[in-house]
Amino acid sequence: MSDHGMRGHARWLDGLARPHSGLLTLAATAGLVTGGLVVVQAGLIALIVHRVIVADQTLGDVVPLFFALSGVVVLRAASHWGQQVAGIAAAARIRRHLRTAVLERIAALGPVRLAGEHSGDLAQKTMEQVDAIDGYFARYRPQRVVAVGVPLAIAVVALTQDWIVALLLILAAPLIPLFMALVGMGAEYLNREQFETVNRLAGHFLDRVRGLSTLRLFGRAPHAVAEVGAMADEYRRRNMRTLRVAFLSSAVLEFFASVAIASIAIYIGFGLLGYIEFGNAPELTLFSGLFLLLLAPDFFQPLRTLAQSYHDRAAALGAADGLRGLLERSGPDGVTTTVACDGRAVAISIADLHFGYPDRAPVFRGACLDIAAGERVALIGASGSGKSTLLQLLAGFAEPDRGTIRIGGVPAGRIGPVAWVGQRPFLMTGSIAANIALARPAATRAEIRAAAEQAGVTAFADDLAAGLDTPIGEGGLGLSGGQGQRIAIARAFLAATPLLLLDEPTASLDAVSEQRVLAALERLAAEGRTLVVASHHAAVRGLVDRVAAVEDGLLREVTP
Amino acid sequence: MNELRPYLRMLATYRGRMLLGSILVFATIAAGVGLLALSGWFITATGVTALALAAGMQAQLEIYVPGAGIRFFALTRTAARYVERVQNHDTVLRLLADLRQRVFARLTALDPAALARFRNALVLNRLTADIDALDSLYLRCLAPPVAAVLAVLGVAVMLGLIDPLAGIVVGTVLLLGTGLLTAAVAWPGSAIGESVAQRTESARTEIVDLVRGLAELRTFGVVDRQQAAIDRSDRALVALQQRAARLAALGEAGMGLVIHLAMVLALFVGVWLYTADAVSGPLAVLMPLAVLALLEGLAPVPGGLLQLGRARAAARRLNSQSAVEPTICEPRAPAVPPDTGELAFDHVDAGRSEAPEPILRDFSLHLADEEHVAVIGPSGCGKSTLADLAVRLLDPLRGEVRLGGVPLPGLALTDIHERISYLTQRSEIFSDTITGNLMLARPDADDRALWYALEVVALADFVEDLDQGLDTWVGESGVRLSGGQARRLALARIVLRGAPVIVLDEPLAGLDAATAATVAARLKPWLRGRTTLLLAHDTTALPTVDRIVELNTLPATA
Repeated sequence: MSDHGMRGHARWLDGLARPHSGLLTLAATAGLVTGGLVVVQAGLIALIVHRVIVADQTLGDVVPLFFALSGVVVLRAASHWGQQVAGIAAAARIRRHLRTAVLERIAALGPVRLAGEHSGDLAQKTMEQVDAIDGYFARYRPQRVVAVGVPLAIAVVALTQDWIVALLLILAAPLIPLFMALVGMGAEYLNREQFETVNRLAGHFLDRVRGLSTLRLFGRAPHAVAEVGAMADEYRRRNMRTLRVAFLSSAVLEFFASVAIASIAIYIGFGLLGYIEFGNAPELTLFSGLFLLLLAPDFFQPLRTLAQSYHDRAAALGAADGLRGLLERSGPDGVTTTVACDGRAVAISIADLHFGYPDRAPVFRGACLDIAAGERVALIGASGSGKSTLLQLLAGFAEPDRGTIRIGGVPAGRIGPVAWVGQRPFLMTGSIAANIALARPAATRAEIRAAAEQAGVTAFADDLAAGLDTPIGEGGLGLSGGQGQRIAIARAFLAATPLLLLDEPTASLDAVSEQRVLAALERLAAEGRTLVVASHHAAVRGLVDRVAAVEDGLLREVTP
Repeated sequence: MNELRPYLRMLATYRGRMLLGSILVFATIAAGVGLLALSGWFITATGVTALALAAGMQAQLEIYVPGAGIRFFALTRTAARYVERVQNHDTVLRLLADLRQRVFARLTALDPAALARFRNALVLNRLTADIDALDSLYLRCLAPPVAAVLAVLGVAVMLGLIDPLAGIVVGTVLLLGTGLLTAAVAWPGSAIGESVAQRTESARTEIVDLVRGLAELRTFGVVDRQQAAIDRSDRALVALQQRAARLAALGEAGMGLVIHLAMVLALFVGVWLYTADAVSGPLAVLMPLAVLALLEGLAPVPGGLLQLGRARAAARRLNSQSAVEPTICEPRAPAVPPDTGELAFDHVDAGRSEAPEPILRDFSLHLADEEHVAVIGPSGCGKSTLADLAVRLLDPLRGEVRLGGVPLPGLALTDIHERISYLTQRSEIFSDTITGNLMLARPDADDRALWYALEVVALADFVEDLDQGLDTWVGESGVRLSGGQARRLALARIVLRGAPVIVLDEPLAGLDAATAATVAARLKPWLRGRTTLLLAHDTTALPTVDRIVELNTLPATA
């Protein structure tokens, strides 16, 4: 993956921009127009001064020029605004596209391939890292064009007036990126050297907040307060070391710009007085002198703006690294459900199943199992034997390495919907009713209520003031594991899918909750749907027709 | 603006630094103004002199002083800018350090229940984002506007010295124009900043739900619905961000327009005064160029003030976090701590504030000095509540908890924590070295004590095999410990502390059977002579105890 260097990331970013090149071109064009208007504005100012002072014209004579100047000023503001707005619009569209792509990738990769990822980290990628590319498109890309075009145009205009001034500008310009690169390399080196330490110092605060209760129990809270201050101060000292070097690069830019302006002013002044005899100096007029002086700062301005948006580029390249790691991870192209279940129970046929995770011993080595439509099967086996993996394969979260799993005649994952009850119930932010309705968004209130009753959710929800409308999840009521599991089972009732997959539905429950969940499961199993449940719980075995053991990568029938 | 008051007060302690920083910003702008204005004056003056000479008149121009002035301003601008940036970023990082320390100090006063929220990664992210929003208050919202106002006034005075009318007219237009523009941008902008933060949070919650619920959402065939919901939030969010960005662009372009129009006005006034013979040509040129040079310093002001809304929202959130009055308070006159490890729960009702019903009802348990008691019960029966009561992380709703006959609320919290060590269910490992993690428990411990503690929890071999031994960095940015290793390291802290009363909540959870047995066997002799309360869901792999109490048959009395 040689494409994952900085250059590869830059190419990837350019690829993102392609569909929106119209807007980006518009932004760059507006920037070039601004540059043109800058030249006109400088010319008009110099002309007014020249006419009044040298040609002795009256105020009335130059009033049309003032009107023209005002017009240029307004147009210049408009095109400046236009550059930014077009850039903002392009960046917004690119971000929307990218975020959608990231979310699709997350959905397509599914729970098994993303098992090692923390939901908070993925949310951070989807939100902050996508946002981090904004400045690259909104500012850096258009400015990259402007920073080449405008100084070049100004240099050409300067050349028509005085070649020495043009030479001064042209000589100063390439020195700037050169020095910036040198200083920037220094900063980067410093950065890399300090990276680990700075990261640790930055994380120190969060780390100590997270563990504050422990610190208190050891009576270390007051000490930790001082430590947080000391670490933040150390962070400051180390950061300043890097920043001083980084600021030096902009100081270099500033220095060249200032020196160039000062030299041009002095050269023109001496030229006008006739002290300089070579070049076009003897031909300098107040008009050309003032014109060149006014152009000098605007020659450097686009470069300075580009330098300021250079960190936009760094941020985007950093984000590209994280985002490409997710977007280019191997896996299916999308969530594909091609066959809709018609509600009748389905048969399952597992033939010569081979499956393994990378860098680990294979989980399945030629497992076979046939389950008739409407049959109920329990999977047993030691922890880690592959019970959960089989359920995940049945759900289509991963594909067999070899062999087939067919559900209702089609490959697993191609048929849906299927009801899923995991080891730990997933509860989203929202009401209890909304959590149940997740399984079938079109369900009526009465159907949700019925499912909640079947699963034993109403047994605790009716005691709550808001009943099924009680909010749960972050900021809402905390539910016990058993209560959450019953909500998950209510989903299975509501969805009425022809296939039910349950992964250790009674794990990590205490005896009382377990009884209640088992009672709900019993009702669910009696509905005549095909059911596969992984559990080593004896009571669960009582609910099924058949028991299969997962052993040594094979499936073995066990007499119940 | 009330919400910002505590932070403004804090900023006030940096008065000197901030004043210096603002002066440096001003000096940078002033040098820019000086450079362009003096250059314009100089060129015009030379042009006028040349004309006079050409016309055969007597004319003289002192060229060395203006030349030196131009070079001086050129160098000053560069130097001032560099010093300003170093100084101001140093100030910001100092503010950040101060803010973190203050926020952290306030968090230490919170109740454990309130603190538990900060284990959530989202809440933690928000906390740092809020602190960052506040530390930019000075750099974005305070220094640039102050310097800008000073610079505008300075230019107005300069023009006024040339011609009072010019100073008043141009100065008024500049002040009014820039002020109105800034207000027009910053006012609607502050509301947008806040909605952006809210929208971001709700989109983030939806994304977290998508990731955590991938299995359910995919199997039930509703993953596209969740994606659509996120897409709706994202559309609204991006639209808001775009509005905010457009507003900032408007501020920047508008500032350009105001300054350039003021420049045109200054040029017009200059030409008018020149044709009326009221000012010289060079001075007439100096006036518009001085105004023009202001742009560099003024352009970032409206956009910077857009951050004010974000800072205010951040301040509000931070304030509300610490506004919760702690319910666990230190006693006014702490009792003398007892020298026995006798621990008594006397007819206690207790529950979490967020739950409607108390978890423990009329619970009594008496541990004699040096007695070992195990409390066994299913999850959710109130074991952790019991442990929290023992170290006063929680106060009972009714009844009393006593240490050596003294009710806990009568003892200083430090005295309680010194006498009772509590291993909570979570193994909190800090991003620090192994030594650092252990020394929390006893800052004066020597290496022998550390190795002894590691030996008791059967972790010594593991640490010995590490390249850097005790100095190995663990946690977030170091070697990741397995769940069982983390558990044992947390337990080693308790051993190192060596308190007379020990409360262990599921001490061997997450250990494989063999290791659990080893640790239990080594723990047993260490616990001798200490009052011990063990909490677990069953007795397998617990050190043997004097007495077992079952907690699932409520109300339990023993």
